[in-house]
Amino acid sequence: MLQTLQLYRRLIGVQIRSQMQYRLSFFVEIAGTGLIALLEYASLALVFARFETLKGWTLGQVAFIFGLAELSFGVMDLFFSGFDPGYFGQFVRRGRFDQLLLRPINITLQVLGSKFMLRRIGKIAVGVGIVVSAVGMNPIDWTPLKVLLTGTVVVSQVAFFGGLFIIGATISFWTVESIEAINIFTYGGSMMISHPMHIFPTILRNFFTFIVPAIFLNYYPALYILELPDPFNMPAFAPFLAPLAGLWMLFMALVIWRFGIRHYQSTGT
Amino acid sequence: MRLFWELTKISFQRHLTYRAATVAGLVTNFFFGILRASIFVALYDLQTEVEGITLQGAITYAALGQALIGYLHMFSWFELMNTVYTGDIASDLLKPMNYFSFWLAQDVGRALVNFLLRGVTVMIGYAFLFDLYWPSGLTHISAIATSMVLSLLVSFSWRFLINLTSFWTPNALGILRFFFVLSWFFSGFLMPLRFYPDWVIRISYLLPFPHMMNTTMEVYLGVLQGPEIVLALLNQVLWIVGLVAAGQLVLRMGVRRLVILGG
Amino acid sequence: MAIISVQNLSKHFKVFKHHRGTLGAVRNLFSRQHTIVRAVDEISFNIQAGELVGYIGPNGAGKSTTIKMLTGLLVPTSGELLVNNLVPWKERQKYVSRVGAVFGQRTTLWWDLPVIESLSLLQYIYKIPADRFTANLKEFRDTLELDPFLDTPVRALSLGQRMRADLCAALLHDPDLLFLDEPTIGLDVVAKERIRQFIQKINRQRGTTVILTTHDLSDVEKLCQRVLIIDHGKLLFDGALNSLKERFSSKRELLVEFAEVYDEPIIDSAEISHVDGSRVSYLFSRDDISASELIGQLSAKYRIRDLEVREPEIEETIRRIYEERLLE
Repeated sequence: MLQTLQLYRRLIGVQIRSQMQYRLSFFVEIAGTGLIALLEYASLALVFARFETLKGWTLGQVAFIFGLAELSFGVMDLFFSGFDPGYFGQFVRRGRFDQLLLRPINITLQVLGSKFMLRRIGKIAVGVGIVVSAVGMNPIDWTPLKVLLTGTVVVSQVAFFGGLFIIGATISFWTVESIEAINIFTYGGSMMISHPMHIFPTILRNFFTFIVPAIFLNYYPALYILELPDPFNMPAFAPFLAPLAGLWMLFMALVIWRFGIRHYQSTGT
Repeated sequence: MRLFWELTKISFQRHLTYRAATVAGLVTNFFFGILRASIFVALYDLQTEVEGITLQGAITYAALGQALIGYLHMFSWFELMNTVYTGDIASDLLKPMNYFSFWLAQDVGRALVNFLLRGVTVMIGYAFLFDLYWPSGLTHISAIATSMVLSLLVSFSWRFLINLTSFWTPNALGILRFFFVLSWFFSGFLMPLRFYPDWVIRISYLLPFPHMMNTTMEVYLGVLQGPEIVLALLNQVLWIVGLVAAGQLVLRMGVRRLVILGG
Repeated sequence: MAIISVQNLSKHFKVFKHHRGTLGAVRNLFSRQHTIVRAVDEISFNIQAGELVGYIGPNGAGKSTTIKMLTGLLVPTSGELLVNNLVPWKERQKYVSRVGAVFGQRTTLWWDLPVIESLSLLQYIYKIPADRFTANLKEFRDTLELDPFLDTPVRALSLGQRMRADLCAALLHDPDLLFLDEPTIGLDVVAKERIRQFIQKINRQRGTTVILTTHDLSDVEKLCQRVLIIDHGKLLFDGALNSLKERFSSKRELLVEFAEVYDEPIIDSAEISHVDGSRVSYLFSRDDISASELIGQLSAKYRIRDLEVREPEIEETIRRIYEERLLE
């Protein structure tokens, strides 16, 4: 275990050093990922003045979950970018995945260690900025439990989004042409989670409650922290299911991933 | 001209073969369109009409955005850049055809496939889910069609122009990505530009992006009327003229540079 | 003892059909038919420890599918495969720790890292004991002359340098078995020769079993005692390269340009293989007649303007084997 961690640290170290060699494009890309996150938030924040609420939620409340999701997705992308479906599909087709299979190390660890998108720092920074400004906009009555829950939400979402990336990567064993549909999992999931779930149609919300438990990763914790009423009458412990939901997603993803590798080994690509 | 349509046809056929990609694109369009429409429904909770756009109009806007995204192909196009880096550009430049038209012909083929397979399908699909706004009258429909064609030309001539940066730098990818992010916001794809504060709108209209999508949408939704439509279309034409001219100029400079450096 | 034993090994793939033209493209949207392609079809062979074997065949013959199965990347459709007493795809991690591989132009090294850092990372990955690592690295630095570019990032290496670095990387953990795919592709004559000598040395001194796939038949000619030829998924030949030569290239060719066009310039001891006006080519075998005898006989009967004797080359032989399907 310790050896595994050390190896992981070394692989990541290599990735970081490699990226640092291209200084200018490194900083440009940090700015770029920050800009995307900022503009996406701005598109919502700037129109709020003309609408006042998002089905009952104020800008501050929306910003709180939006920022947490941006931040978590950015952190996830740092660690799981080896599984980024858009990148992983090419990785497989260029034979790089085969090269990893020829090394006597756990393949999942190697894919994790094959990329570390440092440029996501830009997105993370914007996410943090949005959360901080949201905290300023909301009169939150902070308790130790709320602070702990906020931290847990970030970690859980990282696991959750990581699971989405792994599932997306697994699908790309079967197809690269359909890569766009995989975006539903990754960017679609992140878009759902960064908005209050009660604005989405019931079917979609039920799917993201009972099949992909995204609702517990952002919406319910936010209801608790911002002290908002629950429109769906879930049990009182619903806000605290976040870590379970995140781990469940990651676990399911790894099961699917193993299946995908077996498929890959029987068909090649 | 025959060569142009020949290339268009080839490209049309090539893009028809991307079966899985088309299906995947459709699924994605539906999913994200529903999310965007839901956001509009939630925003219109306390309003009936904002800046001349009703909730029905806003939902139609979300559907149109998804329908046009494949046709306009605004957010990623690196093909020309790639030929510069692989060196394939040399043989393309030698073709007995204007270099801009060479690429435009192929883009038209691509756009046609996407309009038919994705654009039309997306609108029909959304018609089952939502009560969409439909244009009426020949004048209105022909105005929309004209604006759509002009949108493609703005989108393409812009993409052509920025791809030319690859003549000067080996890192054009980052630059292109940056511009594509800007077009994502300023084209009105995320939100109708009218919903933004005035200063954002003013900045937008200093840029080519609104003329790639927002104008067509406003013409469609009937937000623009009579002379406003004519003015908007003229504005699109002006941008096309400007972008094409800039493209030709930059291309000439780039080719000269390429020749001097020996590729 | 056989280090590789392959019994009736097969791999089948599904391939989807595409219709052509605009209408065809529309049809592709709705219907998809597939056919089964037998990429590898019931092949069997054994390779003994310490052998240096060439594995050749035209493009799409099933070479890389076989290699992928041998290296554990692909699971066979049927048949048995045992390498190093392991089933490669079942016990991947255990298996690959005893195997080295260099695949063509694709480097396994970290693109932006200096060569030496990649190598020490590999020490960690393969858990190579420090003394083995030091000894091996020292040896390879000398034989492969790595020193001049040990601190250069891989992306800045020339093709030949990269191949040398990759060979070193593939051998640091003392593998029993080394897979080489096109190790000399794109290299100049001198660099090719250097790589070949190294491969031979590794095979002789360390007893490493080497499986070499290549398009460059001079690699095979200079290195391999034994060659396997595969085409259309079937193993066509398994044996010494010399016996292949004897079997198929015993025929030499005599090209004659006659002074006039003869109707049928037949001669008993050689057969006419090609006629083009006054130019005629004859095939004859060393066992039947010598070149000078044949020329003597011909010039006795006909007026000759010019002639040329061609010795068969291995490239030519192999090409004929592929094209005329001589082995099937």
